[in-house]
Amino acid sequence: MADNTVNLTIEGRAVSVPAGTSILEAAKTVGVLIPHYCYHSGLPVAGVCRMCLVEVEKSPKLAPACATTVGEGQVVHVYSAKALEARKGVLEFLLINHPLDCPICDQSGECELQDYTFQEGRADSRYREPKRFNPMEDFGGDVLYVQNRCILCTRCVRFMDDVHHAPVLNVTERGDRAFIGKAPDADLTQPWAANVVDLCPVGALVSKDFLNKARAWELDRTASVCTGCSQGCNITVEMRDNVVVRFKPRANEHVNHFYMCDEGRANYRWLNRPDRLEVPMADGRPVDWEVALAATAALLKGKKAHIVANASLSNEAMHLIKRIAGKTGGAVTYAVNTGIEAALPGATDLAVRADRAANATAAELFGFTRTSDVLSGLSAQHVLIIVDDALDGISADAVAKAGAVIVIATAMPTAVARANVVLPIANVVEEEGTLTNLRGRVQRFLQSKQAPGLARPSWFVLADLLQSLGEVAPHLTARAAFDALAKAEPAFAGMNYDTLALSGQTVPGALAGARA
Amino acid sequence: MSAHTHAPYEPVFVGARKAELTQLLTRYPTKMAALLPALWMVQEDRRWISEEAMTEVAAQLDLTAAYVKGVVSFYTMYHQHPVGNHFIQVCTTSPCLCAGADKVVDAFLEHTGCKELGVTSADGRYTVIEVECLGACGFATPVQVNLDYIENVTADKVPQILAGLK
Repeated sequence: MADNTVNLTIEGRAVSVPAGTSILEAAKTVGVLIPHYCYHSGLPVAGVCRMCLVEVEKSPKLAPACATTVGEGQVVHVYSAKALEARKGVLEFLLINHPLDCPICDQSGECELQDYTFQEGRADSRYREPKRFNPMEDFGGDVLYVQNRCILCTRCVRFMDDVHHAPVLNVTERGDRAFIGKAPDADLTQPWAANVVDLCPVGALVSKDFLNKARAWELDRTASVCTGCSQGCNITVEMRDNVVVRFKPRANEHVNHFYMCDEGRANYRWLNRPDRLEVPMADGRPVDWEVALAATAALLKGKKAHIVANASLSNEAMHLIKRIAGKTGGAVTYAVNTGIEAALPGATDLAVRADRAANATAAELFGFTRTSDVLSGLSAQHVLIIVDDALDGISADAVAKAGAVIVIATAMPTAVARANVVLPIANVVEEEGTLTNLRGRVQRFLQSKQAPGLARPSWFVLADLLQSLGEVAPHLTARAAFDALAKAEPAFAGMNYDTLALSGQTVPGALAGARA
Repeated sequence: MSAHTHAPYEPVFVGARKAELTQLLTRYPTKMAALLPALWMVQEDRRWISEEAMTEVAAQLDLTAAYVKGVVSFYTMYHQHPVGNHFIQVCTTSPCLCAGADKVVDAFLEHTGCKELGVTSADGRYTVIEVECLGACGFATPVQVNLDYIENVTADKVPQILAGLK
């Protein structure tokens, strides 16, 4: 079995793929996207939609490209007259009972039924009879089932059966009465169930949360990373008019495959919160950045810092915090909210992790102290620096023990009654940076949104602060901040934005080994 | 859940029925393969297959309730709602229609007190439906009452047929 490569021709292009590859996947490797609905590379092959029919020379019938494996010397025609006519027929049948309610359908603009019909379907319908009508059904969780739009590809059924291992969906009835049904008394409240909305190629399964919020073509999309837990699922942040309206998973075979959990998906509203810190303040008055930074430096002069870091801060921010702590001879503490770990059983190494913070790995790597009592040991000798931690469960009295309080944050922690200096920073969708997930994978997130007011990226503010303490940290870009980190921290050695790309890279050595 | 299940669900597969199912399973390579006959056993005992029964069958055969429901709803001969003691199926395919099957249907509806096709009579005794070819075209119109065939039925024989049903 030394050479199990199969050579074939698809649309005139020579293709070499491993034996056992489907024609559909082989075609992808040479840039030919064969239309399909029921096929999804993360799910078992069903072969029910017939949309991927292609002509294979010397084969008497058209072949479904998803369920036909490649053969040596095959000549495949995707766009031959025969194949096109067959697919046109498939589309006409799929549209018989489809309501064509695109103007009010959330999927419109990102709908494969629209795309393929536009690409190779009929311009009109020959169907004159009344269409079937069925009411919508609330499937529970975040999922609404609009039966009339369903093309019965069964991706949702297979996801729940074979990936989620929560087999609650089925195809009920048969023929033109068939629809997606649920098991008696079941609903889609499982931790990963809302992925069926992404998997649905049409507008049959839609998000209740996103319902009628925006049209797909109005959205600005940016690659990012979910900060809900230490898994670090790759996501796309989708915004309308500078407001985040939803998260969608972004495929990354090393981290989240095609999926993200419902908890992460729902965790976007805080990014739009209106009660943000927008202006630097010193002694309760709004001031220029220079004044605020000078006031911070003056407070820290000759004092020990006690730094409380949010465990979801970027690697760059954490690294700078480590340097500030080194300079001022203080400790850094961080708390991590924990929750129930919920794995997606059918996907390798994917779960909502117990640590509901994005970057506890870097905090640990940089030697910060993980504790639920983040103010432990705080005294009047200390200058307390809070870096975007909400100080959950901490009383105002505990904070007041500090000699001075510096808040570097997106929003004011309720436990802080009075801060000497306030430095407003951008949140995760308003700045660029990198995060390290629990397997030591370093991943970039990009800026989607404008930071409010005078708020600046966290690494920019912390670098400025370091500079005002007399250190050299001229980080004018996120790339420069990361390069400085990679140079200083052995775990990140050799990494840069180019090697990270948008799917990340795993830190070599001890950390990755210990946690794998 | 359906309104007709106030009482707690009584399992079908206990005692003799359970033994019968165990015996049945020996005839199939997998438990899943015994699903259709297992559902027939439920329908013989209860005359219809409730969602609770689907869940019970699923548990007996190591399947999921969703899968069982998909199968039950696929086949029209499994009843997902209660039907009358006498389930009357009148063939109305072409040859029978030529022989007056539509009048037979009307007569059954009138004499059973069923208001319309598929709706059980108020006394719970009868449900009448039209079916496609019963395969007895030479004896039009055939009528199937539960498992029994009655051939050469005409509208005027209907009261007599009903009188003969217990």
